Amino acid sequence: MLHHQRLLDPMDAWSSLRRRPLRSLLSSLGIGIGVAALVAMLSISEGAKQKAFAKIISLGVNTLRVEQQNTGARLGRKSVANLSQGLTLDDADSVSSWLGDRGTVAVYGRKDNVLVTGSVAKSLTVLGVSHQWFEAERLTLKWGRSFTENEQRSQANYCVVGSEAAAKLRISGNAALNVNNYPVTVIGVLAPRGRLLTEGTGLSSLDFDNLVIMPISSFPFAEKAAGRILLDGLVVSLNTEKESAILESGEQIREILRQNHRGVIDFQMVIALNLLREARESQQLFSLVMGSIAGLSLLVGGIGVMNVMLANISEQTREIGLRMAVGASRARIVSLYLWNSILLTVTGAVWGVAGGLVLAVIVQNYAGWDVAFSILSLVVAPGSALVAGLIFGLHPAMRAASLDPAIALRDA
Amino acid sequence: MTPLLEAHGVERSFQIGPKAVQALAPVSLTVSACEFLMITGPSGSGKSTLLNLLSGLDRPTRGDVLFKGQSLFSRKEEQRVHIRNSCFGFIFQTPHLLPDKTILENIGLPFHYGEAADSDDAWSRCQDLLEYVGLSPLAERYPNTLSGGEMQRVVFARALVREPEVIFADEPTGSLDGDNSRRLLELLREQAENGRTIIMVSHDDEALSYGTTTLRLDKFKAG
Repeated sequence: MLHHQRLLDPMDAWSSLRRRPLRSLLSSLGIGIGVAALVAMLSISEGAKQKAFAKIISLGVNTLRVEQQNTGARLGRKSVANLSQGLTLDDADSVSSWLGDRGTVAVYGRKDNVLVTGSVAKSLTVLGVSHQWFEAERLTLKWGRSFTENEQRSQANYCVVGSEAAAKLRISGNAALNVNNYPVTVIGVLAPRGRLLTEGTGLSSLDFDNLVIMPISSFPFAEKAAGRILLDGLVVSLNTEKESAILESGEQIREILRQNHRGVIDFQMVIALNLLREARESQQLFSLVMGSIAGLSLLVGGIGVMNVMLANISEQTREIGLRMAVGASRARIVSLYLWNSILLTVTGAVWGVAGGLVLAVIVQNYAGWDVAFSILSLVVAPGSALVAGLIFGLHPAMRAASLDPAIALRDA
Repeated sequence: MTPLLEAHGVERSFQIGPKAVQALAPVSLTVSACEFLMITGPSGSGKSTLLNLLSGLDRPTRGDVLFKGQSLFSRKEEQRVHIRNSCFGFIFQTPHLLPDKTILENIGLPFHYGEAADSDDAWSRCQDLLEYVGLSPLAERYPNTLSGGEMQRVVFARALVREPEVIFADEPTGSLDGDNSRRLLELLREQAENGRTIIMVSHDDEALSYGTTTLRLDKFKAG
């Protein structure tokens, strides 16, 4: 029955709140809604952040991607074709010469829905790439090897296959494949890598695991214009991770290509770092808007707590007078009513965290947004509620402590 | 010998809007140890106000109250709080009890504050007092299940729990019937006989007969 004095205030506060369960419940729910909004916001924000980072890592932080847009040559428009043929090996050479040993340039051509026949036939995407492409894309092999520069030059009819494609074609060892009636030998299989996360970048999607990769020199689907092989893209991998150097290189390469194409911008360049910057900006905006909403919810919840506290104090005037008469200092009265406020906000925070997690899962399932739960959000949200509870509880607590015991006992 | 309590020209007025309303005309008195002082007078004469000033629950507009020769109001707030907790006990006209605490917990309320007491000793003291006021079977019940007389006896037990030197009782029999009034007055007299000082406000002639001294207040005049 009688406990250590320091424990008595929270216990008394809890008893007091239980005396009016509906009022206490509604008040704590007010805080709970604010916390739920905050947890959901932080989870959605964290999800967006993780998705942005995953995309940037997938694209390569120090990688520049140049992709061909429809050219005059490809569309048969001579007026444009006379100026630019589109991306060619000449472009790769120009960029490579400017870059020197500061990075590598890889090229690729692409053909989708190609019938590839091994022990079974499957429709797959076939890439014709330069030997640097494997390094530029940071690919590793499950087994075997990629082709060499010499093999590329000699138009070797070799290929490397993606992990899922290998499984689909039931490849084991150096199997022979037929790529649209062009015979090739499998010399390696890629380790699983997944898709290139190109959503929202304007780049074509690419599933590394479902590819057949051949040397560009022996790529049977290469389109040509004026004797030059037309490329679908370049991958430039820089040997630096310095932000300014990467962005500056991007601008230089864009300028080289623009000059090569006689001022025709018939290509698209994606710099992952720019995406990171855009992601940060949009995330900041999102966080600001959602944070404001969540903050307002907490504010409203806090005002609700203060309101309930003031009502409780008004009803408990005699009790406060009695406690003061039997020896409660003003500090203990402040402590008692701050505990009231803390308990209301803590229970609200518990509802809120649970509600926020459920809300985030609902958003994920029904709106299709990515959400991620971080320890930070699970600490920040209840922490904010606790601070709100302390701030909004302080005024009623001080008011209770300022009561004159004689008047409090008489006015009841 | 130093009197236990002294009041020197204490008066109290309240500011109501622009007007100061006098609630107690200047009063001087001395109370010795073991005295059973009855304060009586007509309504509005300031009996309860004087009791509040003597117990330090209220502060006089003028004058001073001395407890054991030392001014009550020149002490720090925390010292006054400590005196109320350890040296004074209170009984009010309406039995003030905490509704969410059992009878035993209500009696132990003064142990929540002031000097920490050994938990077992405090528990045992509460039970002894409950037995003393004849309410042992009701220990775990809540106040709303008790009669007015029973509640006032609980308040009386609470007033004694810290073994105070002075008990202040503000019309403690005001809401009780004849039997319960007499029972409480007997308990108070017993405490006075056992060495405690009782200062009680009452305008009931039967109650006044229990006191050893009577102070009569007239409206705005010291009696």
